[in-house]
Amino acid sequence: MIAPSILGAAVFVVYPLVALFWYSVQDWRPLAGGPEFSGLDNYIRLLSDTTLRDSLIASGIFSVGLVALNMSIALVLAVLLNQKLAGTTVFRTIFFSPVVVSLVAWTLVWTFLLQNNGGINALFSLVGLEGPNWLKDTGWAMLSVIVVQVFKGVGLNMILLLAALQDVPEELVEASRIDGASRFRVFRSITMPLISPTLLLVSIVTVIGSLQVFAQIRIMTGGGPSNSTNVLANYLYQVAFEVKEFGYGSTVGVVMFVVVLGLTLVQWLARTKWVHNEN
Amino acid sequence: MKTSRTLTASKKWRGSVIALYSALILLTIPFLFPAWWMVSSSFKPLSQIMEYPPTLLPRDPTLDAYVAVFEQPFLLQYWNSLYIAVLVTLGTLAVSAMAGYAFARIRFPGVNALFLVVLLGLMLPAEVTIIPLFQLFTALDLNNTHWPLIIMPIFGASSVMGTFVMRQFFLGIPQELEDAGSMDGLNRFGIFRRIALPLARPSLAAVAILSFLASWNAFLEPLVFLSSRDKFTLPLALTQYTDSVGLPIWNVQQAAATLTVRPVLLVFVFMQRYFVQGLAQTGVKG
Amino acid sequence: MNTNHTKHARRIGAAFTSMLMVGALAACSTEPALPDEPVDLTVALWSANEAHLALFNEIGAAYVEANPDLVSSITFETIPFDAYTSTLTTRIAAGDPPDLAWMFESSAPEFVDAGALVDLTETLSATEGYDFEDLNPSAMKLWTESDSTYAYPFSTTPQIFMVNNDLFHAAGIPTAREMLEAGDWTWDGIRDSSAAILAATGKPGFPVRLDPAVWQYLALIWEGFGASPWSEDGTECTFDSPEMVEALEFIRDGVYVDAAFPKPGSNFDFFSGGAAMDAGGISQANKLDGSFDWDVLPLPEGPAGQVNIIGQAGIGVLKAGDNHAQAAGFLAYYSNPENAAKLAQFFPAPRLSLTNVDVLGPVNPVLSADQLQEIVVDTVTDAQTFPSHANFAAISNAVQPLFDGIWTADSDIPSIAADVCGVMKPLLER
Repeated sequence: MIAPSILGAAVFVVYPLVALFWYSVQDWRPLAGGPEFSGLDNYIRLLSDTTLRDSLIASGIFSVGLVALNMSIALVLAVLLNQKLAGTTVFRTIFFSPVVVSLVAWTLVWTFLLQNNGGINALFSLVGLEGPNWLKDTGWAMLSVIVVQVFKGVGLNMILLLAALQDVPEELVEASRIDGASRFRVFRSITMPLISPTLLLVSIVTVIGSLQVFAQIRIMTGGGPSNSTNVLANYLYQVAFEVKEFGYGSTVGVVMFVVVLGLTLVQWLARTKWVHNEN
Repeated sequence: MKTSRTLTASKKWRGSVIALYSALILLTIPFLFPAWWMVSSSFKPLSQIMEYPPTLLPRDPTLDAYVAVFEQPFLLQYWNSLYIAVLVTLGTLAVSAMAGYAFARIRFPGVNALFLVVLLGLMLPAEVTIIPLFQLFTALDLNNTHWPLIIMPIFGASSVMGTFVMRQFFLGIPQELEDAGSMDGLNRFGIFRRIALPLARPSLAAVAILSFLASWNAFLEPLVFLSSRDKFTLPLALTQYTDSVGLPIWNVQQAAATLTVRPVLLVFVFMQRYFVQGLAQTGVKG
Repeated sequence: MNTNHTKHARRIGAAFTSMLMVGALAACSTEPALPDEPVDLTVALWSANEAHLALFNEIGAAYVEANPDLVSSITFETIPFDAYTSTLTTRIAAGDPPDLAWMFESSAPEFVDAGALVDLTETLSATEGYDFEDLNPSAMKLWTESDSTYAYPFSTTPQIFMVNNDLFHAAGIPTAREMLEAGDWTWDGIRDSSAAILAATGKPGFPVRLDPAVWQYLALIWEGFGASPWSEDGTECTFDSPEMVEALEFIRDGVYVDAAFPKPGSNFDFFSGGAAMDAGGISQANKLDGSFDWDVLPLPEGPAGQVNIIGQAGIGVLKAGDNHAQAAGFLAYYSNPENAAKLAQFFPAPRLSLTNVDVLGPVNPVLSADQLQEIVVDTVTDAQTFPSHANFAAISNAVQPLFDGIWTADSDIPSIAADVCGVMKPLLER
């Protein structure tokens, strides 16, 4: 029963990882030749690779920005939808709909909207403002990419948080309201601790997802302007499949692996501090 | 005295209801405006698509863009995406239900270590191992076929996610239920099939939705593994509506996007209760 | 796990070695050793144009019919333009290469230098009626190395200016043709007209393509300033030359100071009347219809004079493929004088005998004989090509981010240009 899963994980997870490390010490450009063992050359090259430095920064900003924005909007939406208003289902459907929409289609529509002479800036000009050059300005491109990604995925987190909110026992909330606690206090000291396991799960999933961002970057900015949105995944693709360096590309893959490993570890350690009622 | 207090309270309540609704409506803009813009642009002639300031409605609506969509093998690409996603979903369900159950119920040496290996796949972005996988499928002579797009998720990332969700669910099923089954003479597999699996429907739905969407949205894998247009899946196909210098032909692109998005949205709107419940379940259990 | 890995590694190693061996064996047998079985040939190309494909299939079918013992079918397979070269090289790396492939000029040296192409000299010159000497040497330069011809530049396309006279009239300024006659058809003149047209009509005059992904096409402008990104032999960076800096500053100031050129990230469609000028290959002119009064002109003059530029695309036989002899044989047929004449309706041929108004006239119906003489025949012999390099993919990848920095309002272009040379230098040498 377990065999397909184990075999699958061995072939498609473990083997590629082992191979990745082996490739990362090769000089290998499939058009020109190789693979040829090159020791630590690729790793030495990492140290002076300014684009790699740029993309580590870009990945960092993207992940932090995405998680912060996604989690807070998801929480706001979930709380709003938890107010037992009429028509909640309609709003829930609207907020959730981008989740089921094709990622590339969603990205293309936004790319079109965010052109310098596109729809968003048209909206701005209606109220007499000149919008920025969203995807071409180093100050705005990253924000644009993050926001587009947040709207795409926030619905899923919203649903998960909403489910957690609905599991919060009503008596508990009402009891503390009668005790004179403000709405905000109740939320902070009763609701938040109760939904914190879900918050943690959702944030982990969001962080992991944020590192996989590729299609969006490739379509919206191609990593530009000036590498400001060139996240690790995009840089790896550029090195491996555009410049055609499988050896060095694998080395960048190792960097990415280490980053993911580190992040998971940090979250694992932070979990005890964070989650109040882990069973 | 008493009446007036309730009056102010209800006034306050009404005020906050209005505030809540305004907030909600305002928040729908970034979700609805793109959808509308996409459809509206797809009916614009090319000469109006980049007009500045753009018009919110097409002035002379035309179906030209939709005709242009089908100059590429769009239907075939649609079919490719659909059948791959369906196969991936079915395969993932089978693999992850079995593995999830086994990890939750069957004790054998090294089970924890094995589960860790499976989890490793959960956090690993696809990009990390794309080069070795590319080489693997090259050695198997399966490049530019749909096999990598089908096999990889079934045995790789999608199933790992599924296994995780299913294990969490099966851990929550009371053991007594199953003991009753074994007293009725069912073996392990029988218990799994007759008792555990039917209970797991909401979780199975969640796994199905997530793996379907992952396959439906995949971009890196088709980009790396496919090179012929008639093998493309939709995400890759959508990016191909470009002119002779590689710039997007916006109205055709938006038309293709509309055709890609609408049917799925329709299905979603009708089935959204199942979507939402299924997914919410995993969150609580996870 | 470990044994598992080594097994896989060994399998891949074996597959890789066998791939190399097939390549080596095939390389040894370049003499037309006749096979026992006819083969299926595939040709990778980026055109998805139905008219193009219909003609290719017609040529292919004719060849199959004439040589049933050599070739059983010829398939033209479109790889999307967007990521053409990387997809093609990925297919080569995947051991699934086409037999023949189109190539952009920018990556021509990359394919030639890597030894990825089969030497065609013998096949072409030995083919009866091929008239090898008719191939224009200046067109063949990029595809030739030490007297060996590695590809046939089937498309040798003069770059031209197309203008929308209506928008010039609307702005009340002299038309491009009048500028040319008055000697004002210069980059400065284009900038001033662009600013006037934008101010008067709200539509851009000349939307310079500032997308870093296609930075090499700015050669249209900087060649007129006497600039080039690297030295003729490709070993030295000249991107920091005063000429290049002047050209880049001209473009940037055109955007931010003179409000003449649109900012990066704006999109316009010249052919539907969205801009007053556009530059591109001559075949683009066939998209012009009667919806506005238009004209075509040669490239304008820069401070260093007027420089003609041709865009090229070549077709060659990939060494990674299995059927070198058959593929080369088909290429000789595909590019013989008769077929080259047919192809000339879409792609100006690199043949001297086909570079005249009589041949070009009927297939470029929108252009007059005078226009053709002016923009094709007079330009094609002394033209420059767009930048190309044996390490183009890596160079392009490395410099693109820096181009974003150039196109900002207060960019320090001399220092960015020096940075460009900084990242380019190791790549030029490699």
